[in-house]
Amino acid sequence: MSLQRRIDWGIYAVFIVLLMVAPLVMDPFWLNRVAKYLVYGMLGIAVALSWGYAGVLNLGQGLFFGAGAYMVAMSLKLASPTSLQQGSDRPVPDFMLWNAEPGAPTELCCINKGSFLWLPFQNQWFGVAMALIMPMAIAGIIGTIVFRKRIAGVFVSIITLALVLLVRLVVIDAQPVTNGFNGLTDLGWFKIAGFEFDPYVVPTYYLVAVSLSIVLVGARLLVETRAGIILQAVRDDENRARYLGFDVPNYQTFFLVVSAAIAGFAGMLYVIVSEFASPTFMDLSFSITMVVWAAVGGRASILGACIGAILINTISATVSETEGFAEAWKAIIGLIFVLVVLYLPRGLGGLAHDLVARVAARFSPAAARELRAANTSQLAE
Amino acid sequence: MVQVALTIDGLGVDFEGFKAVNNVSMTIEDGELRVLLGANGAGKTTLMDLISGKTKSTTGRVFLHDTEITNWEEHKIARAGIGRKFQIPSVFRDLTVRRNLEVASCKNPGVFANLRFGFGSQAKAEIDGVLELIGLTEEADQIAAYLSHGQTQWLELGLLITQNPKIILLDEPTAGMTQAETHKTSLIVNNLKGRHTIVVVEHDMAFVREIAERITVLHLGQVLAEGDVGEIENDPRVREAYLGSKGIG
Amino acid sequence: MLEVLFIGLSLGSILLLVALGLAITYGAMGVINMAHGEMVMIGAYVTVLSGIWLGANIFVAIPLAFIVTALLGLLIERVVVRKLYGRLLDTLLATWGVAILIQQAVRLEFGLSFLGIHIQGLGPGLQNVSVPAMLQGTFAIGSQDINRYRTFIILVTALLALATWFIVYRTSIGTQVRAIIRNPKMAAACGIDVTRINALTFAFGSGLAGVAGVMMSGFKTVFPDMGTSMVVDGFLVVVMGGVGSLLGSVLSAGILGEINGFVAAATNDILARAVVFGVVILIIVLKPKGLFALKGR
Repeated sequence: MSLQRRIDWGIYAVFIVLLMVAPLVMDPFWLNRVAKYLVYGMLGIAVALSWGYAGVLNLGQGLFFGAGAYMVAMSLKLASPTSLQQGSDRPVPDFMLWNAEPGAPTELCCINKGSFLWLPFQNQWFGVAMALIMPMAIAGIIGTIVFRKRIAGVFVSIITLALVLLVRLVVIDAQPVTNGFNGLTDLGWFKIAGFEFDPYVVPTYYLVAVSLSIVLVGARLLVETRAGIILQAVRDDENRARYLGFDVPNYQTFFLVVSAAIAGFAGMLYVIVSEFASPTFMDLSFSITMVVWAAVGGRASILGACIGAILINTISATVSETEGFAEAWKAIIGLIFVLVVLYLPRGLGGLAHDLVARVAARFSPAAARELRAANTSQLAE
Repeated sequence: MVQVALTIDGLGVDFEGFKAVNNVSMTIEDGELRVLLGANGAGKTTLMDLISGKTKSTTGRVFLHDTEITNWEEHKIARAGIGRKFQIPSVFRDLTVRRNLEVASCKNPGVFANLRFGFGSQAKAEIDGVLELIGLTEEADQIAAYLSHGQTQWLELGLLITQNPKIILLDEPTAGMTQAETHKTSLIVNNLKGRHTIVVVEHDMAFVREIAERITVLHLGQVLAEGDVGEIENDPRVREAYLGSKGIG
Repeated sequence: MLEVLFIGLSLGSILLLVALGLAITYGAMGVINMAHGEMVMIGAYVTVLSGIWLGANIFVAIPLAFIVTALLGLLIERVVVRKLYGRLLDTLLATWGVAILIQQAVRLEFGLSFLGIHIQGLGPGLQNVSVPAMLQGTFAIGSQDINRYRTFIILVTALLALATWFIVYRTSIGTQVRAIIRNPKMAAACGIDVTRINALTFAFGSGLAGVAGVMMSGFKTVFPDMGTSMVVDGFLVVVMGGVGSLLGSVLSAGILGEINGFVAAATNDILARAVVFGVVILIIVLKPKGLFALKGR
């Protein structure tokens, strides 16, 4: 194993240990907050994978996040006490009852035209499965169409962006099924084998932290496989890869689907810790904000993008406690972002990389040369 | 009995009325090195585009041995055994030289087949050999973006050698090279002779003399002449087309 | 029917108002300016502020807003955009940061709110602009009542589009701009001062956004976030029309406006917008270069 990889995995290990010991120093309130930020960290990984490694700037990552969130939220909504109103023993979401036509049957199958879609979600695991399948299926379709047609660069960004906004509007418009603008609230708790994941208890934190660790290590291993390296080759020069015999759209679609699955998984975890799902997940600004996190952390660094997301949100939550500073912090984020794009295109991850190389140079010139060589410094546009 | 590697039969393409390549036929034997000559706009690069699938032909057919590959998708033609080097060198700029070659060494193109680590010890030995041949052993761990222009050209040649196709199409492999670099390139190409069937587009006559066996001259999208170096240099039609009226001696 | 057609036309002209500036900056310079919507917002605030502090009406605000946003555009070009030419997606990201900065500047009254100083017309709240009486209400053509302000918007948009067309196709600066669209390096080699022309182009595009903002302020509430959704619409228009084609932008704005108008009349505004997004996606997938792309290699 090269020095580079040993240092990298060392940093991964430190990061995961920090995740695991965090509950020792935090109260339940902060633990819940940090769990949310860890979910954002997972989104950072999804962005780094598609942007940094596949060279596809997906500005509609919120679509996958939202899809994952809604799928699980539907199950948790049905598990909520609010869905068992009016003495019924069969769950019906409260908002459907409020908006029901007079005389409509108060059954999930037929209270309105679309409510039957909710039926299978009575099983929580169906919701969980769909939270992964749905984003992957959408990504598969997008990828197949877009990449087969060799649409690239900014056009992919614009298509994904328009798509997330389109779906957001459809979700809002399908009010009887989705509760429109208000989203799904008052959700029940996620259960595994009878254990209820109250968002404010330590096990819920660990559910997220362990999930994040697995996704983190998995994503890192994935980009180190042959397929991951071929993907980077595709990013650098699609045509060259094509004339070496690789079916380029297959690679791009595969990794878009992986990235979507991660985002969908993140959406699911977010619902478990925050107890709501809302169309705001599919706002333009949220999807771009994810890209900001990844850019600040390092677009081509999986751990960097992940830490970027966690760091920005934690700092933002800390300073927002000071009255009136929240808005100023937003401006600072804007400024940081401009500066990062202008002067630090590889983000904090790239910066850390260079620092390690410089420190190593002090101790051993040979090691430094190795590090510099392994350092991917030019970024694909 | 020598086998035919590449058969081109009446190949042509029509760009909205402009016939960049028009009814071109030729056969190239196994292990042959064929040079395509022609003035700018003669259709050399377009012909390569047609063979490698970058451009879809409107008439004619292309056979690789006995398989018809006319208008297949690029990656399928590549898998069938035709490799191509571009005029503007294209390599994977953000990967190291060795990584570049490792990618080229992948024998199985599928995504799922490649969900594993490492490229194997056989590939490593092969790649070391290629690095030696293209003279980039020292630079093996460098990022490709940092290579000089000539080195980038050689790396792309290395990608092709590693890919190990039956037929190699080289589009101006010495473009922008110094004399010394050109000479080194001719050594690399000569080394490949016999093991691969090679088609080269080239302007540099010094280079052509160093490597050429048979030459096909294209003019205005059609085949003008075919022969060895001496025949072509003394062919009056070629002189007229390629050097302008009578030539300059 | 006629009424829906007219509403579609006025929606289209609003789209075009925002898209014109983008067609210039994106088409000519290859810059995706996400702060374009904020320029619109600044234009709207210029109207609000000039109304409060100068007692000026919307007609005075138009040139004022043009100047203010053009200057701001010049500044952004010099400080940020200039360093990013050729890096299309990076311009998108950096100008997103700029957009946040501008929004927060307005919301925080340029930081003065920390000192307890408040400027009437700025801040996080909602602002409204009153339109001169001559632009209020409706007038009748035959049996149809036509909204005066909508008509005003259509006229101003048409004028701006014509002016832009004239500048781009009938002046020497425009010729230089078009040369840069085709090939910036070649243009520079031909002695065109690409840096200067780019700066001017960006300023002009921003100025157009400022005017769009003035027009918006007449019928929409003015608030710091108002530009975010506009910039997306504007881009969709430009991309669908074909990058670098002014006529394409005009036509696609018209088409999208009418689609929006008709679907909204048949269903509701939300679905109408969704359908517009759907149409744009479909067109980009089928014709990635847009409906009226520049021909060329």
